[in-house]
Amino acid sequence: MEKLTFDSVSAGDPLPEIVRTVDQETFWKFAVASFDYNPVHCDQKWVETARPFTLTTTVGHGMMTASFMTDVVLAWMLPTVLTIRKASVKFTFPVMPGWTVTSRGTVAEKHVIAKGKNFVVLHVEAVNQDGMKVGLSEFSVAFPD
Amino acid sequence: MDQKEFEKYFCTDKHREFSTDFFSDAEAYEVWEEIDFSNLAEVEGENTFTITADDARFFAEASLFSHPMMTDEGYARQSDYGRLFIHPIFITSIIFWCVGTKGRGNWIRTPGARNPGQSCIFHEYLQVGETIHIKMKPHDRFIKRGKYYLQYKVDLYNQDNVLKVETFTTLILPRDREGIRKFLRGERGLDD
Repeated sequence: MEKLTFDSVSAGDPLPEIVRTVDQETFWKFAVASFDYNPVHCDQKWVETARPFTLTTTVGHGMMTASFMTDVVLAWMLPTVLTIRKASVKFTFPVMPGWTVTSRGTVAEKHVIAKGKNFVVLHVEAVNQDGMKVGLSEFSVAFPD
Repeated sequence: MDQKEFEKYFCTDKHREFSTDFFSDAEAYEVWEEIDFSNLAEVEGENTFTITADDARFFAEASLFSHPMMTDEGYARQSDYGRLFIHPIFITSIIFWCVGTKGRGNWIRTPGARNPGQSCIFHEYLQVGETIHIKMKPHDRFIKRGKYYLQYKVDLYNQDNVLKVETFTTLILPRDREGIRKFLRGERGLDD
């Protein structure tokens, strides 16, 4: 695979799209991986009455959605390991079992400073199968060159 | 959901050791209206986390992104990076593990808590073999559109006390202890 360099990147470049279909198994496995066993993600019976999101179904972890959006950045850069300096994510709607989440983004800004200080800002969003936005994020990624 | 139900997914000792029950210690959880903002002293988490290749691999697979840089040590060793790359969102696992159940920051375990979004600053990527500890302190508490937000600054350090990641960990919580108790009873504990 071609090595990602600062010169090879332009503002406006699209990032790879990541598509993930999730179900309750996905939420349970993410709970184990993250140690976040909040019943809103794991316990359908509890959610039916407790309704933290006013919904009567379990929902995916916000950090699962954050992972999907981060994966757009990782799919773009790996196996080149660039330095993600900052990440900021917002969740605009919870993800429900059976949904297909598409994460996509662009190189929003290219900051041409000096060798070793150059960086880009990436904007990534996640939408469900109906195009409803479920997450928004911004990443600052530094280049060595 | 019973811990036994999760056991089929467990693959590390940490998975087996960690309590999946967010209800049992809930009376000890910090509550939005009771956080003492006159005491901003930084405190350490209850536990430390030594990162293994299995931890990194399992997290990548659970987040449905099995890139060999994160799952295949042989492949990763051949890369310019020279070692496994740990998914940046793995910091979530570290924080839940390190916070523990009894002390400050345990509000992140509140049943019914909602995640509005997070932000972090990475100083260095985490690495397999590092032992991470956290330091945390209250950072902000605010009300927005009828929701009660609590934010802690939670920072991750390695065994040499090198700052690895700064996070601003934020959740929407029940305002008071009765809100938590409602959730424990399976009733809605949020006002909005």
